[in-house]
Amino acid sequence: MYFDSFTEFMLMGKHGFYVWVAYGATVAVLLGSWISARQAFVSAKKQIAQQIELAERSAPVTTRNGEDAHESET
Amino acid sequence: MLGASLKRLWHKLGSPRWFFSLTTPWVTFFGWSAALLLLWGAIWGLAYAPADYQQGNSFRIMYVHVPAAMLAQSLYIGMGVAGFIGLVWRMKLTDVAISACLPLGMVVTALALFSGSVWGRPTWGSWWEWDGRTVSTLVLFFLYVGVFALREAIAEAELRARASALIAMVGTVNIPIIKYSVEWWNTLHQPASFSLTQKPTMPSEMWLPLLVMVLGFYCFAGFIVLLRMRSEILQRESNARWARDWIVRRGFS
Repeated sequence: MYFDSFTEFMLMGKHGFYVWVAYGATVAVLLGSWISARQAFVSAKKQIAQQIELAERSAPVTTRNGEDAHESET
Repeated sequence: MLGASLKRLWHKLGSPRWFFSLTTPWVTFFGWSAALLLLWGAIWGLAYAPADYQQGNSFRIMYVHVPAAMLAQSLYIGMGVAGFIGLVWRMKLTDVAISACLPLGMVVTALALFSGSVWGRPTWGSWWEWDGRTVSTLVLFFLYVGVFALREAIAEAELRARASALIAMVGTVNIPIIKYSVEWWNTLHQPASFSLTQKPTMPSEMWLPLLVMVLGFYCFAGFIVLLRMRSEILQRESNARWARDWIVRRGFS
């Protein structure tokens, strides 16, 4: 550890404000990017799930194993 | 023989389905690598690296500023290369790549500008300088915003893909300008922290955390870009049998 105490670590000489603002912005950007990318993935999955449901409702399939349940769409 | 199999690989690479199944394990790998490297690098850089003898502790901003700026340029180069391939070979996947690099590239460029500004205040004495590298990075940010606005404005998919590929490609001329700006104009920016041919001018306890952070940022980019590409592929192929099968197999959550 370069600093002698936690207070010193937080103060960073006179530069604590600048350092922590820069790192705070970085955390915000990284977390924000992660959350929005995850949301995009979840909503893409949801979209397909809805389409499958819709297809099944409009064309109920009676095959025994359910294998070709979505064939009508493709 | 080799030529033929390379050609086959090239065509496979353009197939969204193949790409999707190939990259499934990569997302997890890049995600965890990014988390570990960034945590390690940040703790090392913030708490253990020695303070700079001239700049004091403000130099610790370097550990986020430099990787952000590197990534900002790399992602734009990625978009440019994807745009070129897309225009020449008409691959579907390249437009997916552009759409995935874009949001991250934009915010990371903003982060590079912002962290630079916050670093500039205690070291140069001002929040903003009309410095060659700063201005060319600002231009990079506007290029990202331009491609973003263009994609929002064009509804027709084919036209949108070609227009953004073209802008991404043309915009890459700005990248060498950013790189050589410190040599062409009088600048406040310090010369490159890393170079492939020379030993770093910093002591190793200062540049090793930077190396870890740079790797962490690149893994993070791999993670986000792949995740976004996969969402985009699922969305575009939502009518395809394989995509539906994948969702059914994976469960809906």
